[in-house]
Amino acid sequence: MDINKVAVIGAGVMGAGIAAHITNAGISVVLLDIVPKGADNRNAIAEGAVQQLLKAQPAPFMHKRNARLVTTGNTEDHLELLAECDWIIEAVIERLDIKQELYRKIDAVRKPGSVVSSNTSTIPLRDLLAGQSERFAADFLITHFFNPPRYMRLLEITSGEQTRADVVSGIRDFCDRALGKGVVECKDTPGFIANRIGIFWIQVAILEAMALGLTVEEADAVMGRPLGIPKTGVFGLSDLVGIDLMPHLMESMRRTLSAGDPFLDKSTIPDLVSGMIADGYTGRKGKGGFYRINRSADGKVKESIDLASGEYHPSRKARLESLEASREGGLKALVAHPDKGGQYARRVLAQVLGYAASLIPEIADDILAVDTAMKLGYAWKYGPFELIDRLGAPAFSKLLESEGLPVPPLLQLAADQSLYRTRDGRLEYLDTGGVYQEVRRPDGVLLLSDIKRRSEPLAKNGSAALWDIGDGVVCLEYTSKMNAMDPEILALMREAVAIVSKGYKALVLHNEGDNYSVGANLGLLLFAANLGTWDQIEEMVEGGQETYKALKYAPFPVVGAPSGMALGGGCESLLHCDAVQAHAETYVGLVEVGVGLVPAWGGSKEMLQRWMTNKRRPGGPMPAVIKCFEAISTASVAKSAAEAKDYLFLRPDDGITMNRDRLLADAKTRALAMAEGYQPPEPIEIRLPGPTAKAAMEMAVKGVHLAGRATVHDVVVSMALAELLSGGDTDITETLGEDDLLRLEREAFMTLIRHPDTLDRMEHMLETGKPLRN
Amino acid sequence: MASYKTPLRDMRFVYNELFDAEAIRVLPGCEEATPDLVDAILQEAGRFCEERLFPLNRPGDEEGCHFDNGKVTTPAGLKEAYKDFNEMGWGALAADPEYGGQGLPNAISMLVEEIMCSTNFAFGLYPGLTHGAYNALVARASEELKQQFLPHMVTGQWSGSMCLTEPQCGTDLGLIRTKAEPQADGSYHITGTKMFITAGEHDLTENIIHLVLARTPDAPKGIKGISLFLVPKIRVNGDGSLGESNGVSCGSIEHKMGINASATCVMNFDGAEGYLVGRLNKGMEAMFIMMNSERLAVGIQGLGIGEASYQGAVAYARERLQGRALTGAKAPDQSADSLLVHPDVRRMLLTQRAYVQGNRALAVWVARELDHAKRNPDAKRRREAEDFVALMTPIVKAFMTDTGSEVANLGMQVFGGHGYIREHGMEQYVRDARIAQIYEGTNGIQAMDLVGRKLPAHMGRYLRRFFHPVRDYLESKEQDFSLHAFLMPLAKAFGRLQKATAVLAQRGLKNPDEMGAAATDYLRLFALVALGYLWMRMAEVAQLKREQDPLFYQAKVDTARFYFERILPQSGALFASVMAGSRGMMEFDDEAF
Repeated sequence: MDINKVAVIGAGVMGAGIAAHITNAGISVVLLDIVPKGADNRNAIAEGAVQQLLKAQPAPFMHKRNARLVTTGNTEDHLELLAECDWIIEAVIERLDIKQELYRKIDAVRKPGSVVSSNTSTIPLRDLLAGQSERFAADFLITHFFNPPRYMRLLEITSGEQTRADVVSGIRDFCDRALGKGVVECKDTPGFIANRIGIFWIQVAILEAMALGLTVEEADAVMGRPLGIPKTGVFGLSDLVGIDLMPHLMESMRRTLSAGDPFLDKSTIPDLVSGMIADGYTGRKGKGGFYRINRSADGKVKESIDLASGEYHPSRKARLESLEASREGGLKALVAHPDKGGQYARRVLAQVLGYAASLIPEIADDILAVDTAMKLGYAWKYGPFELIDRLGAPAFSKLLESEGLPVPPLLQLAADQSLYRTRDGRLEYLDTGGVYQEVRRPDGVLLLSDIKRRSEPLAKNGSAALWDIGDGVVCLEYTSKMNAMDPEILALMREAVAIVSKGYKALVLHNEGDNYSVGANLGLLLFAANLGTWDQIEEMVEGGQETYKALKYAPFPVVGAPSGMALGGGCESLLHCDAVQAHAETYVGLVEVGVGLVPAWGGSKEMLQRWMTNKRRPGGPMPAVIKCFEAISTASVAKSAAEAKDYLFLRPDDGITMNRDRLLADAKTRALAMAEGYQPPEPIEIRLPGPTAKAAMEMAVKGVHLAGRATVHDVVVSMALAELLSGGDTDITETLGEDDLLRLEREAFMTLIRHPDTLDRMEHMLETGKPLRN
Repeated sequence: MASYKTPLRDMRFVYNELFDAEAIRVLPGCEEATPDLVDAILQEAGRFCEERLFPLNRPGDEEGCHFDNGKVTTPAGLKEAYKDFNEMGWGALAADPEYGGQGLPNAISMLVEEIMCSTNFAFGLYPGLTHGAYNALVARASEELKQQFLPHMVTGQWSGSMCLTEPQCGTDLGLIRTKAEPQADGSYHITGTKMFITAGEHDLTENIIHLVLARTPDAPKGIKGISLFLVPKIRVNGDGSLGESNGVSCGSIEHKMGINASATCVMNFDGAEGYLVGRLNKGMEAMFIMMNSERLAVGIQGLGIGEASYQGAVAYARERLQGRALTGAKAPDQSADSLLVHPDVRRMLLTQRAYVQGNRALAVWVARELDHAKRNPDAKRRREAEDFVALMTPIVKAFMTDTGSEVANLGMQVFGGHGYIREHGMEQYVRDARIAQIYEGTNGIQAMDLVGRKLPAHMGRYLRRFFHPVRDYLESKEQDFSLHAFLMPLAKAFGRLQKATAVLAQRGLKNPDEMGAAATDYLRLFALVALGYLWMRMAEVAQLKREQDPLFYQAKVDTARFYFERILPQSGALFASVMAGSRGMMEFDDEAF
């Protein structure tokens, strides 16, 4: 199925967000909404939505120019635009009559074979289709996005019996590859998969916290980290999504669930919550929620609601022995603990995981779909069945019994086995017949975690490992904390060059961490600086430079395959690759100035080279130097892979993969394509303007300082950067090579690392995670 | 016989010449600390201590304290000396003028403490404990408590004590059992037994102000449930007069190896009225303020004893005629040469001298930074000074008391058999000095504090306050040929310390035993480098001034040379020990011990 143009009807938060994300795939979108009553501008809603999209944070567009791919209009004047669209997404208000009416209008104008889908989360497919033509039903399905559509990876698809098979496979494939979604096929059941379990979880967790007398801080601390759930837990999450949503969701669940469903027993909204909604305490978008920020004369104080009295008091860090125990002994220790935190975890997990297990096969044919949905839709680190395995399936069944809950058939079937297992290096799951089935990945999906399950590393140390990913390609994985670059990673990089040179075709830099790399290990550097071991620090800088240079000039192609943050030293490693295949959600930047330093592992050098040889650059070296200076001196971080190309952190012809699961395979393909007849790049030779350029940058920096937008130490750091980027004591007649630029990097770095204000910045960053503006 | 003269010349050198005395004078409240005044204070303190305290030192040791049915009597003469000591204001030097103190810099009061410890260590503990309690109260007590208790403590009319240890808990204060029951009027009733309480009971003052660690009934378990209470021996009425006695009694006093004139008591609290100092369950915080100032003071004890022992040994070595110089008789007209002709005796004397004078410089350096930490108007400078004091406190405590003991032993050794018998007083120094390595946190605990807390704090920020000045100094002297004899060995030892620190920090992340196993050797390595730095700087100053007072300054340079030739090289062996790691020790079979 070719999808070249898409329409979204309904420009609310979800519709607009979906439209924006479709443009992120490079596809034009028609965005329509109703004509507001008495409006001069009949397109005001859709146009306003695009303006909102451009302002919203985190940004729905991966690049501002994508907004130009959106054609706005209204549903009275512009329905004929739908005739050009291959896929029409309805995202209007959750009212059956309105939707059905709209579908008839759509069906009248759409082109044959086009697909129509609804983003509904509460109305069953069979109701939506009631009274529609057979032709319409064949082209119709539900595509349920999660908010915000760009960032939440889950997409639930529900098709009817009449839906054409190629409609399902076509949309599935498009959402997977072009939109980067993790697509889960669901049945036509209330709340599909993620919300059926997720809302039940929130509701149970709130009710149990009240019943057991936990504070909201305690409940969130137990429900969060120890379970691999975001630290917002359940109360923080409710504040985030909006507490007023709960009654609507409950109401729709009550309406659609069949009698006897355990959900119904838990669907009462507590008086406290109703009262909060009535008083405007709807969460972060309202006056506050279970948590609020109290702005008084003494500044901001974070407060939490007392679940019994409804009064707010200053938030206190949760202190429970069970939490302490879980730090050492993990989830099992938490659940085994006798205190109220342990009791809370037991009761919530027993109900929620037991419920999830009872819903197979009602809502999904296998446990994989459920685990995927909860991981991608609620950002759980482990799905419900993975959590059961972590507790031990037999132990969990015993827990259910001790809590007086039924043991679902699936768990009876599992008996004393686990729900997942590894056999011959392959991951398997237990199906509803009690047989283990191999977890199969779609074509074009290659996961490092699968490779790691079935092989031994070619080499490894405390911070990195080297894997054979097949077809002569090797993958270098970072394993240090936050994937911070450290001497051990550099050492394995050098070893990788030797290993790949001997018997392989190409190297890929990739890992499955949240972030590719947040930069060099600052703690190590700061400690060394506090000791005044300048010689060793300079050796460390030079070691990084030499290692990255070795990657660049290795006799085989090196392809970077980053996802998430690639900052500082992590960014510099990518700058030395022959090509990069980036996940669309890659955030690249040279942020060294934030800690009072400059990029000195060849990053400044490579950026100069890129801008100097940029074909679109106006003549002369000055504009190139200024471009580098702007990007580095402001610690600019690209908010997407697409934006990274503007800064030349990525080259114009570097690849972008929308789906993270497809990243490694894409990078491998790219590396193999380059391997044939590979020639390392020519060494750098550039001419820089020297002191004249430095003087120009100095003027600019002083101006910014006088305007109050640069601190004293900003000026110091900027001047060191200006000295480096202008080429030091050179002029335009002189040719500078790779090593000249590296020496300039080292000199600037070593000057700054000795500055106490730089050390203060580093310490502040390490201790607070925020830059110090000194 | 032991003899003692206040080392005024060396004190002046350290205070005025090695460091910039003017930099302290510009601190708020220190304006009047002119060189003349400082000189006068040290001279007067020296005179009082030499004349009044020194003569009581050995008799006090012989007589000891007496215990009779809860009453403790100090040895003859102490009471009168204590009275005069306070009347002359020696106990109030560094205290805040708001409470009747003189507000002098710590750098001065610390030198006076040294003199006191040299002349009568056991006596010094009475005002010393008062001062520790004073520091904790100033930092954490309510204004009401301060006004009620501090003025009398500053005058020495009332003394202080610190009640931490219990029979089941020494180092591990989390095990404390003493109870504090809250009362309706906001006070607490304290019940429990404390032991090893220095100056817990005595006859020097009319009242004793005990600072007691205890836990309230619903306090969290362990160290996080400890609070600090002020418990007077005799209750104080609203008008400041003394009221009824307060359920505090002394159960017995200890029979000890040394500091016999100091009463070490078992204290029983039986529903005694107490008042919370600082916040509930934050007793450890308040206690550490007290401990930190005490730990510096204990380091000074090591210094003071060392100085006294050195002086005794020098006097004896000069007078005692025994044997002939190996290279031929030096005094053929006498029956024998003096001990001074023997290289090994000179080794002992110079070792004592190098440690004592080096430690004095170290103590003044830290005391000056303490003054900056307390008084400097620039917050950044204050923080730097706080960092430095935090870093160096365990080093001052452990190294200066370890070397204090070593020096006292060398002093006894110079005396030969006469050192081992009591009447020369040299063995008393050995016995007295020994406790300083044990109390206020054993020296092993100090070493753990250094590697476990001070090293990793703020990613090594405390370390910067020592390492950067030393690094910068070494860099600035690279071209100075007159100092080359010092530069290279110090650079080498400093490099070892840097390496050891970096390696230890990394190993410690993976295995805390690595820290524990290396701690004591690491602390000593650190201290030797610190003294090396100070000795090089002292040599630099002395070389420039040699003409003005050749005997004094040449001796400085020569002592520095001795330190660099004979003591600093130990850094190599210590470095090897640190790098050896923990396995050899930890894998040793428990059964085989």
